Amino acid sequence: MSYRSFVGLEIHIQLATRTKVFCGCRAAFGDEPNTNICPVCAGYPGALPALNEDAMLKSYVVARALNCRLSPVCEFERKNYFYPDLPKNYQISQFAAPLGRDGYLDLEFRRRRKRVRIRECHLEEDAGKMIHAGDQSLLDFNRAGTPLLEIVTEPDLEIGEEAEHLLQEFRRLVRYLGVCDGNMEEGSLRCDANVSVNEERAGLGTKVEIKNMNSFRFVRKALDYEIDRQQDILGRGGTIVQETRLWNENRDVSESMRVKESSNDYRYFPEPDLPPFQTDDAFLAAVESSLVELPPERTARFVSQYELQPAQASFLCDERGSADFFEAAVAAGAQPSDAAVWLMGDVQKLLNRSGTQLTGSPLTPERLAELLVLLATGRIHGKLAKQTLEAVFTDDMDPRQIIAERGWEQITDPAAIGKIVDAVLTEQHEAVAQIRSGDSRPHGYLVGQVMRATSGRADPRLVQRVLEERLALQFIQVLGFGGAISGSRREDGVVVPGSLESLIRSLRGDPALPADIRYDELDLGGFLSEEVSPRDWALLIHAIARHAATGDTSGIVIATGTDTLSYTAALLSWLFGASLPIVLTASATTGDTAESRESLRHAVQTAVSSAPGVSVVFGAERYPAVNLKFERVPGESGEGAFRTWNRHGVPEPRVGLWTSFQGSSGTQDLSGSAPDIPDAQMLAGRLEDAARRIFVTKVFPGMSAQALVALIDAGVRYFVLELYDTGTASVRETPFSLRHALEYGHRHDVTFFCTSQQEADVDFSTYVTSHDLWRGGAIPMGTLTTESVYTRLLAVLLTGVAGDGSDPDAVAHIMESG
Amino acid sequence: MRASSPERWQQVLANSAYADALRSRDSSINAFLEIDTDRRHSHGDGTSPAAAGPLAALPLAVKDNIAVRGFGLTCGSRILANHISPYDATVVARLVAAGMVPVGKTNLDEFGMGSATEHSIAGPTNNPWDADRVAGGSSGGSAAAVAAGMVPLALGTDTGGSVRQPAAFCGIYGLKPTYGTLSRYGLVAYASSLEVAGLLSRDLAILRAAYEAASGADVMDQTSVSLPDAASRPSDEVRRVAFLGGELGLDQRTAAAYRRMRDVVAATGAAVEDIELVTAEAVVPAYYTIAAAEASANLARFNGVRYGERPVFAENPEALVRQARTEGFGDEVKLRILLGTYVLRSGFQEQYYQRAQRVRTAIRRELASVFARHDLLVLPVYPTAAFRHGEAELTAFQQKLADRFTTLANLAALPALSVPGGVCDGLPVGIQAIGPAFSEARLMRFAELAAAELPPQRPPGYEIELCDEVIPGGRT
Repeated sequence: MSYRSFVGLEIHIQLATRTKVFCGCRAAFGDEPNTNICPVCAGYPGALPALNEDAMLKSYVVARALNCRLSPVCEFERKNYFYPDLPKNYQISQFAAPLGRDGYLDLEFRRRRKRVRIRECHLEEDAGKMIHAGDQSLLDFNRAGTPLLEIVTEPDLEIGEEAEHLLQEFRRLVRYLGVCDGNMEEGSLRCDANVSVNEERAGLGTKVEIKNMNSFRFVRKALDYEIDRQQDILGRGGTIVQETRLWNENRDVSESMRVKESSNDYRYFPEPDLPPFQTDDAFLAAVESSLVELPPERTARFVSQYELQPAQASFLCDERGSADFFEAAVAAGAQPSDAAVWLMGDVQKLLNRSGTQLTGSPLTPERLAELLVLLATGRIHGKLAKQTLEAVFTDDMDPRQIIAERGWEQITDPAAIGKIVDAVLTEQHEAVAQIRSGDSRPHGYLVGQVMRATSGRADPRLVQRVLEERLALQFIQVLGFGGAISGSRREDGVVVPGSLESLIRSLRGDPALPADIRYDELDLGGFLSEEVSPRDWALLIHAIARHAATGDTSGIVIATGTDTLSYTAALLSWLFGASLPIVLTASATTGDTAESRESLRHAVQTAVSSAPGVSVVFGAERYPAVNLKFERVPGESGEGAFRTWNRHGVPEPRVGLWTSFQGSSGTQDLSGSAPDIPDAQMLAGRLEDAARRIFVTKVFPGMSAQALVALIDAGVRYFVLELYDTGTASVRETPFSLRHALEYGHRHDVTFFCTSQQEADVDFSTYVTSHDLWRGGAIPMGTLTTESVYTRLLAVLLTGVAGDGSDPDAVAHIMESG
Repeated sequence: MRASSPERWQQVLANSAYADALRSRDSSINAFLEIDTDRRHSHGDGTSPAAAGPLAALPLAVKDNIAVRGFGLTCGSRILANHISPYDATVVARLVAAGMVPVGKTNLDEFGMGSATEHSIAGPTNNPWDADRVAGGSSGGSAAAVAAGMVPLALGTDTGGSVRQPAAFCGIYGLKPTYGTLSRYGLVAYASSLEVAGLLSRDLAILRAAYEAASGADVMDQTSVSLPDAASRPSDEVRRVAFLGGELGLDQRTAAAYRRMRDVVAATGAAVEDIELVTAEAVVPAYYTIAAAEASANLARFNGVRYGERPVFAENPEALVRQARTEGFGDEVKLRILLGTYVLRSGFQEQYYQRAQRVRTAIRRELASVFARHDLLVLPVYPTAAFRHGEAELTAFQQKLADRFTTLANLAALPALSVPGGVCDGLPVGIQAIGPAFSEARLMRFAELAAAELPPQRPPGYEIELCDEVIPGGRT
């Protein structure tokens, strides 16, 4: 049986007004009990309410931002019920004439766009708080009379995750508008929900109200629990009882509070103490002028105006403060892409470490801009820039001042560096001779000598350039990473791993390549590409990271094999983005053949001539690194070729996740000769750990949900499910239904990322079965191939950008924002 | 007999004999719940009260459902028996600013619900004209205090006639102003959309001065209004006067006084016409439906939690609230709360509350059409003169039906003034005039015209006001 679920929310926000809604008392959280009270909000005999116009303004601003029809006249009513924390034993609220009606909020959740209708917005007063302590009940009326805006949605939501998402979007909205801090723990944002489940196409079911959901996560859990509960009852042929249930966060269950029969009759009637509120032109103009650019629009503008990636823009626009900070830094002269990278990476890292907020920290937009300009103009190099940033936080000084005081200013004068380089070259004449003869190995050593001579203050890229000039040479790193290209064929015809040696030799003598290239090769192991393990990847990543940090290379060429190239290429692309030119290549033939030479030659040419970024060269073709498939097409040469799936939807990341690497970094060596990167053992450990938690599989007719359940029991927390076509799978009630696995996974914090067995855009919007997957919490990954998704997941877990990977929401968020 | 002069009233508080004389005179009347003539009221905003002007240093009695800082605010109810108000009602603050000095809180029917000042924890107030009779209600204490010459002015509240009817029973003036002109801030609410603060006095000049001092918009009461400027206010001409005709069910005294008043008005040269109101039958049911509905919510705040009487022990907060209300409210109050809760039930609002509101609209319209043709509408205040204590002459239900003349002005939010209409057979009878909104000056002009023939009289035994009794040389 296929079900449909309907969820509507009742959201309450405390408006951030200076005073309460009907009196002049301070509206503040956390003061001594019963200090912010007066005859009005304590309900003393004879006291009358007087409407706070700022509360009205903020309410209308929210209603307007939610695209509501604004009432030209709105009225207050009394909602009568007895509760000791309600001073007057009626609440002044709105009923027949709320201030806003018929609005909407546009959502996009798991690639499903939806317009969630807002039924109404109305303003009311909050109650006090009652605390039971031993045999006493204590009352604090500080909160009584705080303006509370209630927003009621239509039952347009379907699952807990979606409701949580709406709530987070809504929170962002009210924080942007500056009308509420949106803190669920402190209760400035509260949410109740109504849930009904019914058979597909049967309309709304019997409504159950859920209360006491005190965090975003509890909202999701409570709603999913309730949908499951109702579905179970219906599935067993039962009927749903109309009732109110409370979420018990300690037991992860909901409990019945009261059934409909005993519910309150609130006996609403017009509040005689308050005349109807009439909006006039001045008021409506004030509403309009209080509107700000909201997160979705601002994010889109950041992408178009500053050419940021969607993930960067959405990170920056998550908080109005950080978006404002970014724009102020850009206005102060920072390059937008630099500012975004630093704010997401190093700045965020420092904020996390100190547990502070960006606004109010010693880092001002002007200081960030100053630092980035110093970096961009070469006055300081990358590593010292990071230390300068730290010093800004610890010493609260301008970057310029810090650099001057500590003598960190980079040596950027080519003449000065030229002098030092010349001295080193004169002294190290043996190494120079070695390089000139074609052996590039001493090159790194020379760079190190120059850096040492300047105490690390020389601009490494300038050093590299001066060296290249002085020696009249370019330096290419060639990394051997298994594969047939470096292998050989045994007498019995079997291919065995080999080394790069003969290929490098062939490059050195290749007349088609510029003679000024010097090759520095590093063999990362004799294996075939099908044998690649996480540990091998760790070594490869470590080697690239080191070169990226020192900048001692013009480009990196990786010789590997066709079997796993699509994984390795995507992994490197997710990690390193456009930090330096990285070209992967492979050969369909074994060993030093014309075909492999051709591929390698082309790869070297690409590395020296192209912009930074990861790409793949095979034969004469060049491909983007993500979404590659190796295919052998019969009838042609039989050697096979790469093809890019969903070419139009292929992301080419500019900023890799590596920039945001979280965790203990390597040695801090101010001499600059040792790059500041994590060690290879640690990377290997993290990658292996990540790989153990991931399972990749293709769904197929007859696939047993029990098998997935067993994998979950064995510790798998992330699945990459390759579904049929645009994202379909069987959820029919059979022993093989995937639904059992989804439900089981849901209860165990397991995430299912979905890709397609076809060249397709997975978006779950077409088939009823894919809608069931969506409801089951599976995440459609759009145009990404299984290889791309798996390696992105590895990159996310390796770099720790989503923490230690135990929070599936954080991981899913980064996976989706690719 | 001679009229006491305001000047002597202005000196009375300086005389130490006043307090004792006040207490002594009240012993047979029971107008006051609390007397304190020594409390030099400190003014909330730090300014000092006016030292000169018509109201300077005048003693003021305040009905005990109006807040005066430092005085009790019991509303005649057990549930507030120990409650001291932490603030001043706006009307009190304004009269204090004009120089008046609150000297005591006056008796009333519990929360203003009654017509006899008998439903009070302090017991009944006696009518100065005849101690066996009631002073009227619910502002009976205020009316009796003025009539017995104890104070020159008293504040009352008028929800359905609670100022005018006791004023009529005691032979003095009782003003129920236009809704909103006197702030309700500090009036313990009974029926918010109907009630206003009112003024009781035997002296029209003091009444007028007090109204001018106390009226006007108040930020603490958003239903309050500022008076329109003099040019757009109704004139004080009394030329075309409508009298309510038809079968009015009046007792002999009232019928005679009402006829007399008609003659007096006609003798002034005004055009007099008898009219009938088609909405008359529906007035009392509509009034009680709306008043009870609002009362059921207004009185919900009295739960013993933050102030007032409460049980020493209760199992839980809910039980505490239940017990405090069971013990704290009198029967009449409980009756009206139950009635109000009943008429507001969901599904029944259309039948009762909404219907009453439609009647209210019809009454407003009908009165508006009356004032399109007439300057004033004159009618009795109450079908009888002061009745005897208890329900022997008028049952509680009959007392409610008898509100048919007074509740009109409350439902229509219009000003009305009860004026002395002579003394018949030993009891005073009051006749009221209702005018269009903001026509208080016209109502007072009417009172002056009537006073030329029918001046206010003093009850036997109370011919001498306290100021004349206390001030040396005051008696001549």
